[in-house]
Amino acid sequence: MKILLVDDDQYLNQQLSKSLKAHNYVVDIATDGESGWNYIESFEYSLVILDIMLPKLNGIALCRKLRSHNYQMPVLLLTARDSCEDKVLGLDAGADDYLVKPIRAEELIARMRALLRRATISLPPVIHWRDLTLNPAKCEISYQKSVLPLTPKEYGLMELFIRSPYRVFSYDSIIEHLWSIEEPAADNTVRAHIKSLRNKLKDAGGDPKLIENVYGIGYRIKSLDDGSFSHQYSSLNRPPLSVDETVTEIWGKIKDKTIARVESIQAIAKANSRNLNNENNPRQYAYIEAHKLAGSLGTFGYGRGSEIARKIEYLLAGEQPLDTDKQTQIEQLTEDLLKELKKTPTQPQTKEIKKHPQSTVQSLLIVDHDTILGEQIIREAHSRGLEARLAPGVGIARAMMVEYQPSIILLELNFPKPEEDGLMLLEDIAYHHPEIPVVIFSRRSSFIDRLTVCRLGSRAFLQKPMSSHQIMEIVTGILNHHNITGKIIAINDDPQILELLEALLCPLGLEVKTLNTPRKFWQVLEISNPDLLIIDVEMPHYNGIDLCQVIRNEPRWRYLPILVLTNHTDPETRAELFRAGADDFISKPVVGPELIARLFSRLHRSRLWRNIAEIDTLTGIENRYKSTEDINRLIRIAGRHKQPLCFAILDLDNFKDINDQYGHDTGDWVLHRFGEVLKKAFRQEDIVGRWGGEEFAVAMYGTSKQDAMNRLQKVLDKWRLEVLVPEDNIAFSVTFSGGVAQYPEDGHDLQLLYRKADATLYEAKQAGRNQIMG
Amino acid sequence: MSQTVLIIDDDEDILFVADRCLQLQGKWQVLTASSGTEGFTIAKQQQPDVILLDLIMPGVDGEATMKMLKNDIMTTEIPVILMTAKNSPQERSLYLGLGAIAIINKPFEPLEISDQISNALGN
Repeated sequence: MKILLVDDDQYLNQQLSKSLKAHNYVVDIATDGESGWNYIESFEYSLVILDIMLPKLNGIALCRKLRSHNYQMPVLLLTARDSCEDKVLGLDAGADDYLVKPIRAEELIARMRALLRRATISLPPVIHWRDLTLNPAKCEISYQKSVLPLTPKEYGLMELFIRSPYRVFSYDSIIEHLWSIEEPAADNTVRAHIKSLRNKLKDAGGDPKLIENVYGIGYRIKSLDDGSFSHQYSSLNRPPLSVDETVTEIWGKIKDKTIARVESIQAIAKANSRNLNNENNPRQYAYIEAHKLAGSLGTFGYGRGSEIARKIEYLLAGEQPLDTDKQTQIEQLTEDLLKELKKTPTQPQTKEIKKHPQSTVQSLLIVDHDTILGEQIIREAHSRGLEARLAPGVGIARAMMVEYQPSIILLELNFPKPEEDGLMLLEDIAYHHPEIPVVIFSRRSSFIDRLTVCRLGSRAFLQKPMSSHQIMEIVTGILNHHNITGKIIAINDDPQILELLEALLCPLGLEVKTLNTPRKFWQVLEISNPDLLIIDVEMPHYNGIDLCQVIRNEPRWRYLPILVLTNHTDPETRAELFRAGADDFISKPVVGPELIARLFSRLHRSRLWRNIAEIDTLTGIENRYKSTEDINRLIRIAGRHKQPLCFAILDLDNFKDINDQYGHDTGDWVLHRFGEVLKKAFRQEDIVGRWGGEEFAVAMYGTSKQDAMNRLQKVLDKWRLEVLVPEDNIAFSVTFSGGVAQYPEDGHDLQLLYRKADATLYEAKQAGRNQIMG
Repeated sequence: MSQTVLIIDDDEDILFVADRCLQLQGKWQVLTASSGTEGFTIAKQQQPDVILLDLIMPGVDGEATMKMLKNDIMTTEIPVILMTAKNSPQERSLYLGLGAIAIINKPFEPLEISDQISNALGN
């Protein structure tokens, strides 16, 4: 875009032209009014910047001159004089805007942009719109060859429509364009003119509906072809439809077409054309159709339809011919989709606040210009079931924070651009979103830096270099820390204290089990499997020191945090309790905030510990050590209560092939997904653990073998149908086999049950995999 | 005071639903375009207040259209909201990096789209 700058201040000219060039403007410079005029006459400019005080011909005179010669480009005046008369004089002379020196380049450029946006775009002298021709020079509009006999207002209307063929003009904007303030017009005046215009169009052999009424808004020239929706829907006589009526009605019109589209996808999948070099590649066609359906069905109330279409889209992606598995899957999915489309759509509804579409999934925002490391962390995060996004700069990070509302932020302090500063972002987050934990990871690591970020509330400071695995360990640790829950057993012979503890702890999301005598303590401990214990020193039957010793004697409870309530402040009793295995003391009378702080600190530390020791990092379910321990506990309870218990070993089929074909990342992703499915499929009292590789163990309390097999069969049916999409363009399904053993029939301890379950699993594998045996 | 929104999408059904839904909300004047190039031309001529752009289109796709819009002085200031059925986080951050002010997931809820645009524009 070409700009003329007329100013006698050489220094300013230099500065401005530099800034303007930096914004991709082409700049010509004239240093007096006359040469400015010569430039304007010889070249075409999009905008002119004029100083008022100019040698030879001053700015205001030059402005008048160019307006009187019909130059329409925007003119921006610059002057050192900030007086009202000057401004009025300048604007009256035909200038569009006015800036007082000293000027800032940014402001000048912003104003220029505004002027250029407003500027009318020069259109070709004669405009054609379908069969209509507008000749502004003669003020004539003709339909095909015949000139329409229009009044000035009708001509004005038609010109407005033709010049902006897609725009809908409201009554107000039509009046604003065509009527002056002195001769106010009402809506029905406009309507009368439109009517007469339509009649004249009709007389000339044209379609009067060429000028289209858009209900409730105004008029526009018809832009879509005949038979289009707008034609069918834009009728003056109809009452306006509500949004859901509209959606339902549109769906009615396109339902058959949509079903035909799904059927054609199905047909293409069945035929499975190998002719991939063909220009009109049917596979490509089907892929695009599936993509469109995925993007539109939900809008019509078929949310599940969109999901199914998305799966079909993934299956169709890629170049290789479809294998039989994929073909069957697509056939199955298209069948499902057709069934789905026969249902009544759900009514459109406004959801509460739909800020984060998957609010249950925790999300990580990485703010770092090191995109390679960023991508690694994203992969690592995904394998742990965390959403993750990368913002390569502070500015983008701000935008993304608004959109994604991350659960946690990983922030680099240094950025290549000096204006991008991690500390400033941290400050903003601390101020506006103190609830979002921030982890700093940076090469900077001076004590001052560490202190600064601590004061700004950061949760951890990681020094680069650090592997993405280590980083994510810490991030997930903090996230879990953040939403802590726990089960607490409190033993005390004073009912008031128990009541107080319940009142204090239950509102914090903790589950509190109270016991007023330590006698039944051991059974309760076994059944409720607490995260923390609160005991008193003095109790009937057994005192606190006894309890501590008994608990620490049992290896399973070695890590259970124990808090002791006590009146004793003498060092000896305390020392004795510490030796017996207590972790902390709370003095009576109980002070709420202190109790809560001590208790949470214990819970966090032990949780951290246990996560490392008991949770399988890949799948998020219990590891072998922990699940073995829990299953043994269940077996003991089952024995005591004479309840059946089923133990099953599940094994993903042909898992090695997945690792070989897609790589271990994908394999890990599948294991993770399987872990999620298992976690969801079983009750809280069941035990699910990963026992190694692709082998998983499940224990179901109070369940007979037949029920257990039915439940596992349901899980298998669901898992088998799940299309796994670890990355775009990779999609497959996996099956598993399972063997079930029942306590006490198949064995009285876990070892025997495992042997039996493993043997039946082997049978299931031999029998062709993809089944449960018992 | 109604604002003008330009919707660019190759799926005529979607174009039509979005058009109707937005008009019914009364806050919007709607322009539509069924291809990137058509959208770009209309954006230049009509200077809409906001553009809703689909990412996957045959021919000039959403990303290319975005670049055209951002590289042209007449359209570079117009805020663009991307619509996409693809949800991978990498893609989303990439698109925000292109200069989109927000991303709307497809399929969209007919009743929500107006608010989603308003929210993105900050009013």
